Amino acid sequence: MNLTFLIVVAAVLGLGSVVSVGLARRQRHTPKAALTELVPLDVEAFRNLTDPAEEDYLRRHLPPAEYRTVRRARLRAMAAYVHLASRNAALLAQIGQAVAMQKDPERARATRRMINDAFLLRRNATVALARIYLALVLPGTGAALPRFQDQYMKVVASAMLFGRLQDPASASRFSLALQ
Amino acid sequence: MPQAHSLLWHYLWVAPHVLQLGLALVLWRRGLHRQFPVFFAYLIFEAVEELLLYALDVSPAVSSETWWSVFLPGAVIEGLLRFAIVAELWRHLMRPWTALARAGAAVIRAVVVTLILGAAVVVALHEPNRNHLVIKIAHPLQQSFFLVQAGLTVSIFLFASYFKISWPRMAFGIAFGFAIDWCGHLAVWTILNTTIATSARASLDMVNLATYHLTVMVWAYYILVPETAGDDDLDLPADPTLDIWNRELERLLQ
Repeated sequence: MNLTFLIVVAAVLGLGSVVSVGLARRQRHTPKAALTELVPLDVEAFRNLTDPAEEDYLRRHLPPAEYRTVRRARLRAMAAYVHLASRNAALLAQIGQAVAMQKDPERARATRRMINDAFLLRRNATVALARIYLALVLPGTGAALPRFQDQYMKVVASAMLFGRLQDPASASRFSLALQ
Repeated sequence: MPQAHSLLWHYLWVAPHVLQLGLALVLWRRGLHRQFPVFFAYLIFEAVEELLLYALDVSPAVSSETWWSVFLPGAVIEGLLRFAIVAELWRHLMRPWTALARAGAAVIRAVVVTLILGAAVVVALHEPNRNHLVIKIAHPLQQSFFLVQAGLTVSIFLFASYFKISWPRMAFGIAFGFAIDWCGHLAVWTILNTTIATSARASLDMVNLATYHLTVMVWAYYILVPETAGDDDLDLPADPTLDIWNRELERLLQ
């Protein structure tokens, strides 16, 4: 009877989540609205935060207890940056897909590239967040994010090219909105 | 209390299957059967199968055992067709996005393995409550099919939602309809697998029929109602400050 109850509850929850996805689809953002929701990310500050040399310096110069506190704060800040990058990637993917039906092959190629780059960044952000949270729970594990900032900059470049081909005024808007 | 062989019961069994034959005709006339060949085959197969089962059910000459013997092979073929439809919908969803398709396929494979193991556990823990062999097989089989297919469809919806992948309109409609049907049927078949009163059994049958009717109505909406054009351009008002940035950017790009 318990298993029956569990399966019925799971089926109802599954149905609820699909219906909520369906409702969210009806209220999707227009590209213009999504563009205004992009939040700039300070890539240099993020790069410093994940720099292994800085991490080494702090470890060598701070007492262990203080180092652990500082490290936890840095990991939380890192998670916030990765969240933001991931959210921006999702918005760019939405913008790209909304205008994806392009007749001009150059525009279509740039749009597809931006969307694919955004998807990859979001996937990598998921893995990065898992590593950061693991490092928060298990202080012995590393939370290095090799090339994450480079991947973010690649998405910014794709977005600028996409924006420039849509409308020359949009390239700088994407640049300003993302970094 | 809803009863078998009431007017509502006849309507719920026959009407959605007649409607789905009409939808198959619309798909054929619009050439959409080439985009969704498995779904098209399913619409026809399922309608013919269910109308045959209905005719056997209302015929006094057909025994319960004979009815279940016809039901079982149909349920197996229908279950396999539904798996093929999930694969078809997945291809429609992921075809343009090659970068994500591989990672997505790995996630979906893991979900399928987990769901199959879960279904195996459910079947192993199931206590058969009927004497006839065909019914003993049919009930857990249906439950297992719906468990895996509902879990798979919900996972695909959540995956697409997380990555903000836009569903093609018709693929969304088909998947949305199936998700409603399979989640509903999973709950109902799970309860039907337990020992419950015959009157409750009749009510649950009606819930199954009503859920399927809703599913066909969802498909009808997405097939028959055209998509409204959205505000999908990126024309933005001019901003003089950005012109300076633009000129600098153009200079850099050159």
